[in-house]
Amino acid sequence: MREAEVSAISVRGLSKVYGQLEVLRNVAFDVAAGTTVCVLGPSGSGKSTLLRCINWLEEPTTGAIFLHGEPVGYLNSDDGGRVRMTERQLASMRSRMGMVFQHFNLWPHLTVLGNVSEAPIRVQKRPRSEVEAEARALLQRMGLAEKAEVFPHVLSGGQKQRVAIARALAIKPQVLLFDEPTSALDPEIVGDILSVMRGLSAEGLTMVVVTHEMSFAREAADRIIFLDEGRVTETAAPGDFFANPRTERAKRFLARYGADMSNRGAA
Amino acid sequence: MNGVLIVWEQRQLFVNGLLNTISLVTVAAAVAILFGALFAVPLVNGGKVARRAGRGVVDFFRSVPFLLLAYIVYYGLPTVGLRLPAWWAGLLTLILYNSAYMAEIFRSAWLNLPQEQTETGRAFGFAGMGLYRWIIFPQVALASAPVVGNQLIIMIKDTAFLMIITVPEITFAANFVNANYFVPFAPFALAVLLYWGLCVLVELGVHRVGAAAAARRHA
Amino acid sequence: MSLAALLTIVTGAAVTALLSLSGIVIGVPLGLLLALVRWARLSFLNAFVTVFVSLVRSTPIVTLVLFVFFVLPTLGLEVDPVPAAVATLAVNTSAFNCEIWRGALMDFPREQRDAARAFGMTRAMTFWRIVFPQVWRRSLPALVNEMTTLLKATPAVAVIGIVEVTRAASRIGAATYDPLPPFAVATVLYTLVVLIFVQGQRRVERHMAIKYGYQT
Repeated sequence: MREAEVSAISVRGLSKVYGQLEVLRNVAFDVAAGTTVCVLGPSGSGKSTLLRCINWLEEPTTGAIFLHGEPVGYLNSDDGGRVRMTERQLASMRSRMGMVFQHFNLWPHLTVLGNVSEAPIRVQKRPRSEVEAEARALLQRMGLAEKAEVFPHVLSGGQKQRVAIARALAIKPQVLLFDEPTSALDPEIVGDILSVMRGLSAEGLTMVVVTHEMSFAREAADRIIFLDEGRVTETAAPGDFFANPRTERAKRFLARYGADMSNRGAA
Repeated sequence: MNGVLIVWEQRQLFVNGLLNTISLVTVAAAVAILFGALFAVPLVNGGKVARRAGRGVVDFFRSVPFLLLAYIVYYGLPTVGLRLPAWWAGLLTLILYNSAYMAEIFRSAWLNLPQEQTETGRAFGFAGMGLYRWIIFPQVALASAPVVGNQLIIMIKDTAFLMIITVPEITFAANFVNANYFVPFAPFALAVLLYWGLCVLVELGVHRVGAAAAARRHA
Repeated sequence: MSLAALLTIVTGAAVTALLSLSGIVIGVPLGLLLALVRWARLSFLNAFVTVFVSLVRSTPIVTLVLFVFFVLPTLGLEVDPVPAAVATLAVNTSAFNCEIWRGALMDFPREQRDAARAFGMTRAMTFWRIVFPQVWRRSLPALVNEMTTLLKATPAVAVIGIVEVTRAASRIGAATYDPLPPFAVATVLYTLVVLIFVQGQRRVERHMAIKYGYQT
């Protein structure tokens, strides 16, 4: 592969089995650098699991993940086989990917500033003064500058998620993973977070977003991946996907969720 | 094994010890629960002075080391005219000490009761003594069962202190055999197993009551 | 009561408190170690720790201290009363502390560990930076409660001859044929020590709730 063509994320032959249950079946796709990919699908289709396999929060049963051409989870050994990464190597790969969770997952014993600074200082070993200055700038961008010294439990859901986004940005990730970032928020607040995410997408960050928010998918995504019962059944540009879904399941899915869009209006 | 043989020969001592432990705990628990329930009423419903004084008494008994209280009852009270045999001194100590704990347990459970059932009782005309007996206390009893069970386990262990004031319970028996026959492992190991068995029994009982309470709560 | 007698009792109380503290200082981290062994699910050690904790938690301190003092010499270890007492108190409180730590570790929300892993923290770093700082704060009220319980039970070591507060009072009483005053003084004194501890515990609980929003 030529340097310029290396995808930010490549997934090949990804399967995940829990006991008897096949959650992901032979999933494969690429995410080009600087683009935003939205993963859509009915509940239980394995979207979250897919995202969590990308940074090996869940260990794939089979398959390979590549971050800018470098394998995640396994290293290629000299004799052509694969050897598992050590914990340190895996942690190092993960620190190049930022993640935003549905339930924010902030660390309650650290202040807002502490949450944002923790990974850059402890994992990336960057100097505290530099990290904190950048952290404050990020919080300023999120409109939370004056909340830097408070503890997460006093914040609202929307504020917590903005801190979580700042935390993910602080590590200067090559890729941002979003796991249903607005599903736990009040409807009025969802729009705020989505506009933050649209802004990030417009800046050219590589993003993989698992979401139910069709408006976001339509407006901000460069590609849609439709996941159904663990299989990638469609990939297309949003325009194509929403206007002309090719499979029956996708059509039914859009029929159900499409109503969302007319109710919300322009978000 | 020498030790095991000697313990077997002296088994009557251990049987007596076990019986004393069980009898002390059973009687003391019954009385302490009764007193605790009675004392909980002014703690919750009394006037400000009564509640404050009550909490003071409860806090005192919860901070006193059990052994010191036993010493006072057994060695100190005779000087003011009340000379009790060891078993009775032990019983009195257990009752005094645990009535305070039970009162606090019931008070806490009472204050944390959901209001609906008591209000329903009032709506149906229950009041005063009847309200306590038929509506409030059954709920308090079910809610506090696990904590009471825990306190029973503590009581079982506290009886061991009473060997120091010469009550012939389990540890006394083990210590006696060791002191006279110089075989330390078997008697003390037996004592440990006996206490362990008693605690397991109480925990099983509490588990049963807890299950019954949970089943009732879904009614 | 004479000044010398009072001093004897105060010394006894100090000895008791010191023994307690020694037991606590060893028993709290030892309890954490036991809890970590169970949390990490190392199969053989797991079973051993479970049985050990269960037995020790059901054994009265009086019985345990007699066991330690008389059985250890048969295994070749000569023990003086004071080390035997401290070891017993430490082992006893470690069993209760193990359950306290374990409860907090088991209850620890997985999502926070997920976030830590996602940001590239190793398991060790996750434990020291994320899990432990919260677990010890959350466990503090229960741990202090157990310390109070240990403080009250320490007089049990009188049974292997240590002159702690009850023995001190007992001696005075035997010498003066008037046991009630020394026991009363000993009770008031020692109860004050415990009450101070209990007040400290309540303050800790309130502080935790206010600063971090914990409900205890």
